[in-house]
Amino acid sequence: MSTQVQVVPASTAGAMIWSLMKRGLNEVLRVPGAAVPGMLAPTIFLLGLTAVFGNIKELPGYPTDSFISFMVPVSYLQAAGFSGAATGVNLARDIELGWFDRLMVLPVPRWALLAGTILSASLRVLLPFSLLTIVALIFGAQWPGVGGIVVAFTIGMIFAAIMACWTVSLALIFKTQSAAPLMQAGTFILVLFTAAYAPLELLAGWLHDVAVINPVNHVLTAVRQGFIGGITWGDTWPGLVVLLGMLVGFAAIAVNQLLKFGK
Amino acid sequence: MTTAALATNGRATVSLAKRGLRQALRRPQFLAPLVIFPSLMLAANTGGAGRATELPGFPEVHGFLDFELAGAMMQSTMLAGVSGGIALALDFEIGFIDRLFAAPVSRYSIIAGRVGATSVLGVMTGIWFLAGGLVFGAQIQAGVPGAMVILALVWLAAAAFALLASALAIAASKASVVQGIFPIVFVIMFLSTAFFPLNLLLEPAKTVANVNPLSWIADGMRGPIIGELELGTVAKAVAGIAIVAAIGFALTGLTLRRRMRTG
Amino acid sequence: MAAIEARGLARTFSGGVVAVAGIDFDVAAGEIYAFLGPNGAGKTTTVRMLTTLLRPTGGSAHVAGFDVVREAHKVRSSIGVALQEAALDPLMTGTELMILSATLHGIASSDARRRATALLERVGLTGAAERRVGTYSGGMRRRLDLGMALVHEPRVLFLDEPTTGLDPLSRRAIWDEVRTLNRDGTTVFLTTQYLEEADQLANRIGIIANGSMAAEDTPEALKAGIGHAHLEVRLAEGEAERARRVVARFGECMHAENGNVSVSLKNGAADVAPIVRALDEAGLVVESLDVIEPTLDDVFLATTGQTLEGAGAGADANAGADRAADEDARADRGAGADGAATNGGKHSRARNSR
Repeated sequence: MSTQVQVVPASTAGAMIWSLMKRGLNEVLRVPGAAVPGMLAPTIFLLGLTAVFGNIKELPGYPTDSFISFMVPVSYLQAAGFSGAATGVNLARDIELGWFDRLMVLPVPRWALLAGTILSASLRVLLPFSLLTIVALIFGAQWPGVGGIVVAFTIGMIFAAIMACWTVSLALIFKTQSAAPLMQAGTFILVLFTAAYAPLELLAGWLHDVAVINPVNHVLTAVRQGFIGGITWGDTWPGLVVLLGMLVGFAAIAVNQLLKFGK
Repeated sequence: MTTAALATNGRATVSLAKRGLRQALRRPQFLAPLVIFPSLMLAANTGGAGRATELPGFPEVHGFLDFELAGAMMQSTMLAGVSGGIALALDFEIGFIDRLFAAPVSRYSIIAGRVGATSVLGVMTGIWFLAGGLVFGAQIQAGVPGAMVILALVWLAAAAFALLASALAIAASKASVVQGIFPIVFVIMFLSTAFFPLNLLLEPAKTVANVNPLSWIADGMRGPIIGELELGTVAKAVAGIAIVAAIGFALTGLTLRRRMRTG
Repeated sequence: MAAIEARGLARTFSGGVVAVAGIDFDVAAGEIYAFLGPNGAGKTTTVRMLTTLLRPTGGSAHVAGFDVVREAHKVRSSIGVALQEAALDPLMTGTELMILSATLHGIASSDARRRATALLERVGLTGAAERRVGTYSGGMRRRLDLGMALVHEPRVLFLDEPTTGLDPLSRRAIWDEVRTLNRDGTTVFLTTQYLEEADQLANRIGIIANGSMAAEDTPEALKAGIGHAHLEVRLAEGEAERARRVVARFGECMHAENGNVSVSLKNGAADVAPIVRALDEAGLVVESLDVIEPTLDDVFLATTGQTLEGAGAGADANAGADRAADEDARADRGAGADGAATNGGKHSRARNSR
């Protein structure tokens, strides 16, 4: 198995990636209602969990009196997870229908094939992000400032790309949409087994231990800036390091699976 | 209906129920939403909001897990109902339902078979959560009789939800439409006492939960876990199930008759 | 008593779409009756009414002596149905499906397995019986479909396009099975897009077009009703005009392509020798001769104004499109359930002489 990376002119690679990215966005742009589940689900969870668990803000040591402000960053990451999962499921469907074989016989570098698909996940996540932000503000969330929104959205988009790499890998391994629950479970665990509902100090013993070692907890902390407290480099850089590491790691797995695909 | 016809219809119902169970067990991707995601959510809720037992007004419980088990079972039961509807809709999509409708059995027997399978699936998930809860430290205060009552409620509730989902499946004949009600399931659950006590919910969830039959069902499942077996609580749960079942039965009859008229 | 009897049978869908406009026909017990028609003609709608899957909006029908509306249950007990889609549960094995079918038809469990095994052997699926149907080929699915329709030994068997999409070998296997069933006394009501299939199997053929019966008779009578056989003669270049004047005294000269000459044979093949002698005496060189009998395609064209695109290799591609159109039509509830594939094929002649 060759591990050489094919070198193509930047303009050609860019055009290929752009085309594949646009195709990846077709589902939400051309299919009426296709974007709705991805937007509705995280919003329902945000409002539902707030309505149900909102009063835990009364616990001593809770850092805010606005539970929804504490939760909305979690919803951003959930939305990023859903977007990533949708990308993987769509790829699995393409594989089942034989469409993916068409792409594989094209003279497109394998990394470019993936880049376009994964970029589409990053972009489509802006839809649920926007809805979540509007709904959260309507229901009393603290306005994080433009800086907070930029930080949250940027990190969220990168996280969506990471989740897309994960789900694309599963799609390439299992080659069936039946792997969807596995894709979704992965993102679920990464996002919710963190200081999602409450700060670390208030988590139950086992979840505290898991959240401490879960790298996504740093990502959550970074996204939470502005909604809870201010934006500091100290709260930002750990999340960025985690994102970089996860992106490199999951992207490598995805490319590796693509190179093995069909062999 | 003659005795022979009753026997034939009975056998048909049992055969179709077995088929439904077999289908579910052979399609792991349909089982996952019933078991894996409610389990993950139970873990996240318990770990993240576990200190809620310290809030003033929270009922006396052995542990937050004990309180949350009913929510997980409710979630699983409702999703089992939806899965049954999806499976029925798939039968319509692939034309298998025509084969069943052309057979000399009552159409209601055919639906009863599907409902039967779903109700058994519900009990299986109920056992999963009760057993899992015990493993992770929960206690069923009402003992074995309490556990039996809980499973009986789960069985009936799953059948009731399956009736509702069947009506939708018959009307829409498309699995994607039935699948689309997943978010609604969560909305209805968040607007009940499935996950938190009524007095500690935020408005307007509290007001809705107060009149939501699903609250009665959830409280009925929870009662024997966190306290003694109370006839009133169980009766209220049965009444809640009866309301859901009555609506489901009426809608199923309506859609089935319309289907027989229009083909 | 007829096995199937339709009187003014009609079905109008919501929106005023008339799928079946009041048709009359009888199918005698023990007969194989082929029901032909272009897409959208009303075939599948008719079958669905006769099999109690759809209520007629007009007229009446009796199957095995029972009214399809008032005695639907008795109809279902008497019929076997293999519909246009081999609708099978892909997660079940052949054995499981066969036993399920037996159970649904009231066969006791002790007998169900025995019958399932026998039917699976009959349709040649013993080796695949314990495999999930999702792994079966199209031909295997069709055979299982047929087996399931037979498990309760029905008096009347409805086959809706049973060989669409099958390779020639599988198609012949199905034909053989249908003939065997019929020899055993089963009445077969068959819809098909393949004229050859109707010609091979059917005792009588009914042709439906635009929701109405266009013709009904034996294949031979239908073909004879179109006209005589004709002789098509290919000659050397430039001799067609002279040849036409020679053959004109034997029968009606018909338009022929590519410089050929075509003449009707009033007395069938007996006219061939005199025509050839006449051409020879006129010094005309005959390069080839074909005796062309009227075909069902000709019958179809004459009665419906259309050809069936299913008369040959193109059928499979069209069948797929028809199925997709069929599903759309069913979903919209606004058209007859036969789908709406286009039907613009050229009139073609089979060159086989009988």
